Amino acid sequence: MTIFNRNDKPADATAKPPANDIVQPQKPAERPQATAQPLSPPAKTGASMPSVISKALKITGQLESTEDIQIDGEIDGDVRGVGVKIGNNAKVKGTVYGDEVELAGTIDGKIEAKKVILNGTARMSGDVVHQDIKIESGAFIDGHLKPEFGKTASKPASVSTLKPVTSVAPAPEKSIEARH
Amino acid sequence: MFALSRRSDTRTAPARGIELPPSYLRSSLSIRGVLEAECELTIGGKVVGRIAALTLIIAPGGHVEGDIIARDVVIGGYLKGRVFAPTVTVEETAHVDGRIFHHTISVARGAHFDGRMPWRPVSYFETLDQLPETQP
Repeated sequence: MTIFNRNDKPADATAKPPANDIVQPQKPAERPQATAQPLSPPAKTGASMPSVISKALKITGQLESTEDIQIDGEIDGDVRGVGVKIGNNAKVKGTVYGDEVELAGTIDGKIEAKKVILNGTARMSGDVVHQDIKIESGAFIDGHLKPEFGKTASKPASVSTLKPVTSVAPAPEKSIEARH
Repeated sequence: MFALSRRSDTRTAPARGIELPPSYLRSSLSIRGVLEAECELTIGGKVVGRIAALTLIIAPGGHVEGDIIARDVVIGGYLKGRVFAPTVTVEETAHVDGRIFHHTISVARGAHFDGRMPWRPVSYFETLDQLPETQP
């Protein structure tokens, strides 16, 4: 009996604990890997994929992107992007800068963009500075439409953050003027 | 604000995770401010500020400076700040400078970690309503 017991115990001891050790680390490790793996491929391939701010995300602060942004959540602050799409139930409180801004949700603030699209569900409280605008039936606008994008002095400031090249050009001029 | 009401979360978390679409902040996006997400949040860009999320993933290349409260945190990028999460995974590509308050943690070989990893009971995270003051 003692021999069997001795044989059984080491056998169990060698078989089970390693199995547990292997299984336990794998289970917690699989979850992050499973979540991380689908994320890395779009990061490599998807240069055209926009950043997504889903409806469950609320941001208080400033956003800046050199690519497209899809906003379905709530933002309290300024947004700077190239293509900015603001979804149906999204809310933005602040100024939205971009090359192309498509609004289907709510903005309480300002839009400064080359091309502006206000969908039927859009609710815009504030001024729209644009070069090219499309307004669908049903859109609510409480503010001024100003076709002045790129004309006034304040515009290059907003563009300069998107395209550093333009900011480089006026900067030396100012410094030269200041020197003279 | 940062209350994660874990009693309800732990019961309904899988359902809520499916219901609420995840957020993905790409490498081109930088944010300065406070992020509050009741969903999975992936950061591939730069974030400076506080973050509260259900699941937070800092993708490789991601850069976060600030404090984090979440239920699950996966760090594959750069993090400077504090983490308060019951479950934390530090991947091999991670660069962490700060403290990770955790209940369960795994750190991959190759990860750059400079700081401390204080263990806390689960009850600590359940009662975590706001960012606590910690000793430096």
